[in-house]
Amino acid sequence: MSSVRGKVLVIGGGIAGIQASLDLAEAGFKVYLVEKKPSIGGRMAQLDKTFPTLDCASCILTPKMAEVPRKANIELITYAEVIDIVKEKDGFRVVVKKYPKYIDETKCIGCGICVERCPAREKLGAPDEFNEGLSTRRAVCILFPQAVPRKAVIDPNICLYLTRKTCKVCEKFCPAQAIDWSDTEKILNLYVDAIVVATGYRFVDPRHPALSIYGYGKYQNVYTNIEFERILDSRGPTGGEILRRSDKKHPKRIVFIQCVGSRDYRINPYCSAYCCMASIKQAVLAKEHEPGVDIVILYMDIRAFGKGFQEFYERAVKEFGIRFVRGRPAKIVEDPNTKNLIVYYENTLKGTIEKIEADMVVLALGIVPNPPDFMKRLGLVEPDGRVKIKDPSDPIATPVEGLFIAGMLAGPKDIPDSVAQGSAVAMRVMQHILRRKVEVVAT
Amino acid sequence: MSGEEIRIGVYVCHCGTNIAGTVDVEEVVRYASTLPNVVIARNYVFMCSEPGQQLIKEDIKKYNLNRVVVAACSPSLHELTFRNAVKEAGLNPYLFEMANIREHCSWAHPDRRKATEKAKDLIRMVVAKARELEPLEEIKIDVTKKALVIGGGVAGLRAALDLARSGFTVYLVEKRPTLGGHTARIPFIRYLGVRGDELISSIVKELVSMPNIKIYTNADVVSMEGGVGSFRVRIRVRPKYVDSKCNLCGECVKVCPVEVSNEYEYGVGTRKAIYLPYQTAYPQIYVIDPEVCTRCGECVKVCPTKAIDLDEKERYEDIEVGTVILATGYDPYEPEKGELGYGLSKKVITLFQLERLLDERGPTKGVLRIGDTEPRVIVFISCVGSMGTSPKAGSYCSRMCCSTMLSAALKIRDQLPGSYIYVIHKDIRTYGYDEELYWKALERDIRFVRYEELPEVKVSGDKIEVVVKDITIGEYISVPADLVVLVNGMAQGKYLREVLNVVRVSCGDEGFVKEAHVKLRPVDAASEGIYLAGSVTGPKSVIESIIHGSAAAARAATVLSKDHVFAEPIIAKVDEDLCSGCLVCVGMCPYNAISTKETDGRRIAFVNPVLCMGCGTCAAACPSGAMQQQGFKDKQVFAQIRAFAR
Amino acid sequence: MTEEYEPKILMIACNWCSYAAVDLAGTSRMRSPHNIRIIRVMCSGRVDPQMVLEAFVNGADGVIVAGCRLGDCHYIEGNYKTLRRMALLKKLLEQLGVEPERFRLEWISAADAKKYVEVANDMVEKLKKLGPLRISFEEISKLIEEVKHIE
Repeated sequence: MSSVRGKVLVIGGGIAGIQASLDLAEAGFKVYLVEKKPSIGGRMAQLDKTFPTLDCASCILTPKMAEVPRKANIELITYAEVIDIVKEKDGFRVVVKKYPKYIDETKCIGCGICVERCPAREKLGAPDEFNEGLSTRRAVCILFPQAVPRKAVIDPNICLYLTRKTCKVCEKFCPAQAIDWSDTEKILNLYVDAIVVATGYRFVDPRHPALSIYGYGKYQNVYTNIEFERILDSRGPTGGEILRRSDKKHPKRIVFIQCVGSRDYRINPYCSAYCCMASIKQAVLAKEHEPGVDIVILYMDIRAFGKGFQEFYERAVKEFGIRFVRGRPAKIVEDPNTKNLIVYYENTLKGTIEKIEADMVVLALGIVPNPPDFMKRLGLVEPDGRVKIKDPSDPIATPVEGLFIAGMLAGPKDIPDSVAQGSAVAMRVMQHILRRKVEVVAT
Repeated sequence: MSGEEIRIGVYVCHCGTNIAGTVDVEEVVRYASTLPNVVIARNYVFMCSEPGQQLIKEDIKKYNLNRVVVAACSPSLHELTFRNAVKEAGLNPYLFEMANIREHCSWAHPDRRKATEKAKDLIRMVVAKARELEPLEEIKIDVTKKALVIGGGVAGLRAALDLARSGFTVYLVEKRPTLGGHTARIPFIRYLGVRGDELISSIVKELVSMPNIKIYTNADVVSMEGGVGSFRVRIRVRPKYVDSKCNLCGECVKVCPVEVSNEYEYGVGTRKAIYLPYQTAYPQIYVIDPEVCTRCGECVKVCPTKAIDLDEKERYEDIEVGTVILATGYDPYEPEKGELGYGLSKKVITLFQLERLLDERGPTKGVLRIGDTEPRVIVFISCVGSMGTSPKAGSYCSRMCCSTMLSAALKIRDQLPGSYIYVIHKDIRTYGYDEELYWKALERDIRFVRYEELPEVKVSGDKIEVVVKDITIGEYISVPADLVVLVNGMAQGKYLREVLNVVRVSCGDEGFVKEAHVKLRPVDAASEGIYLAGSVTGPKSVIESIIHGSAAAARAATVLSKDHVFAEPIIAKVDEDLCSGCLVCVGMCPYNAISTKETDGRRIAFVNPVLCMGCGTCAAACPSGAMQQQGFKDKQVFAQIRAFAR
Repeated sequence: MTEEYEPKILMIACNWCSYAAVDLAGTSRMRSPHNIRIIRVMCSGRVDPQMVLEAFVNGADGVIVAGCRLGDCHYIEGNYKTLRRMALLKKLLEQLGVEPERFRLEWISAADAKKYVEVANDMVEKLKKLGPLRISFEEISKLIEEVKHIE
């Protein structure tokens, strides 16, 4: 099929967006894949391992990511956001804002010399978003070593040249003369036949007043699960060693608290679906890193519902000795000397109030869909944060013809279901476009 | 190729710390560079990433490499990735080989010294094979732009509809006499106000109106040959003994002497040997069950349109398709007689039976009655047949039952506001947006009792008592129940084993079909061109099955949209000079890919490259060594074996 | 410090089942003996008895040929052919004076990582007791020249 059968915009370069783009491109459609960050990969790129197989997340993700630029039909537009869509004729006019990278993508070879040389680091740097702020990054950075595209971008808020007209070290050392100080915000206008929004999720704010009992932000050794994932990762801020913030010591006991910001009417009544398994995974990995560590998971229900999940949960108990206690913490207090946390909870299966002292506490944070602003303007977001769908039996089609959703944006789920939705939405798009053209390909 | 200097590049991956944390990658690289013909040896943190692949591509050009070895994870993950990288650098992709030093080494052996020595040995053996590799050309296969969907449940129907709408010709084969599977018997999808049979009907209505779809019910697939792009399949259509002249008058049912349990009502109620599966069944034709029919002929006598022919024979049809989607679904777990009182009292029923009793179009018109009495105390017991709660149960979680159970409990609450409804459960797994059901159930006074030890259902005459240790209070409670619902999960489809004899995909121990990769390829089977949709791969809700149906269709469309696909050339080939025409190989081939041809007045063996699946069995049998499997030739495998010792 | 004798074992594993089982053992971080070196073939049916003999000549103290469970062969019946050939090979090895523990034919499904670990552990234990292979390599080499396949 040499001719293009239609044009599709996919917003969001996470695993669902990537799958949708690959399937559409293979089937002969032109895809514009727009990703807000400098690289595709989404949340999965931040994971160390995936449950229940303990597959190395990068190992299974990076080849899929690597396929994207290889497909001639996919135009990858990173560090850009879709700011508006307008229904026009049979399709959509789309306005994309491209943020200035200050790097000429056509010249940048991703060698990383600029990053090595950049003096805007540590105190002059910024919190590294990829490591959830547990480390700092420089003004020029490549999101992560396996980034696609592997190109640098410059942060204008901390770049010494862009803020104070000094430095320019990166330009001096760049072997490809790729630094471009004249770069500006650009607006790109596209016309497409259909749109897939796969912008994923955001975590509930651990500093929400309703969650203040957990002490996140107040107590140094209380972490969110995504922070803990970065700590477990050998590519992360501590090289894969579990060292706690207060004294860089290895923990002897870690307590996980489930359903923080999920199943909670004050913040988010829904179940976030991924967190029981994610905590079990992290607990097992923590045991591998620190064989003597005691791990307790405080839970309401262990939602080990997927393929291989229950078996993994049982292994965690029997083989790895992870302790599961059914109870919600009522209070967490910090010992001012040791900076340990004392967690008070009701052990509902014994009917007793107990307390446990932990070196680290990990909060399994709830998630909510992360729709782009234009969807809110179009009235496609419910008050509880869910994205509106046309038909309750089809979670990926919005009431707007030709506008579809996939992945975590369409509700909490795990990686295989996001991938399946990525393929399913590609099929919805194919039909939406082809039905208008009504062709029977072969008899 | 002979006479050319062999120049090998060896790349040792750290895989983060997955390999480098155990194996001394520097030492391994040093060792590799001492091997004959190794021109360059490197190590890198993630060889499969863009920069890792770039390293290989640049070295191929810089060092004139003509063989590449990557020592990293299992080839099942990245062989294709690296073959493509090598191809992009202008080198034949089959001059590449992988050594598995992660799954087979660093992950299995924590001892640094032993793992490092083993890594060296594995690389030495692979390098020895690499020396003997030859360039191979991929085989171009024409794609037949037609699809086969096996299974007419909700996932198969959705997949068929999606492919038909996309313009491809679709053959849909359903074992039972009607389309719709189990979904058609579900009166409410969650608590959404959507009926299963209406969901099915809306898809079927559109499907049957399309010119490019052919539906076979009461049919099976009996053989399948070939591969992606061209599968040759034989369909057997079993006789219904009733044809389309049937006007649904039902006179035949009145006179039929045979009465059996009705599987379409999960045993709540009976049917005759001649029957219409249910009101909204498609096609709307009565059918005779040959296993119980006595051939008395009474129905033939009363049929006003003479639609019945007891001598109808089965017929066969051969089709050719480019892709196959397997969507044969599941069957509900059937409790054993005596398991939690099942079969000992009509007051103990399964979840699936309950749904029939709550269906307005069901045997009781949706009015929940046991005998003639309205139940006042209803007890649900979850995880029956799952979570290892009985010897026959699967150890897995059946995923959809908690949500289905609470939806059913809410329906009962709607109908019987004064009843006492207990849910006896292990965990409540209403994940994602289904949590809403749990909130609603709590608001509407459904009582939850948590168990660890399996409850006991005591049946004495007409009375049922459910005894369970409520672990949140630590005490045994006893509930005198009017109705006990065993929440049974999904188990392997009854006929799956038969299907798997024809469609060669494999099953896990728990009875569900295995995907190519459980995380990143959830609807692909391991074999190219075969896709998996719905609960055949594992328990799923109806809505999830629909998504998977569309996903499988999308995957199939990536093949069907093309005019050709390319097959891996690791197939058998005959060296015509060496072949003596003994033809021992011909009988070896399970795919009948080997035939004979005449050359120079001799009759020798010939392999059809499109039919050959590349097992190599013929090659092992060949006495003269004329038959060789490309990529696994004798000289290649023997070189690998000979390098076993240093 | 005594250097314990570590037998060297070659395993020829089929891609779809037994090789995948070893992969799964690794992915599940199951510890298995380091003594095993694996060669991949697409089907156990590819395995020629000569390959097993070649392994013994080239330093293997033990050889495992592993395929899918009977009835589950990815290529339908390759493993049945393996079964027949290896039965013949076993007789041959007996005549050569190679202890029967040194050669195993195993059917390991892709999900059965545990079986792989058990087989590997068992073989290492047995071979440790037997010690290194002591056989006339000249005899085996001669036999390799003469062995013809009888189907």
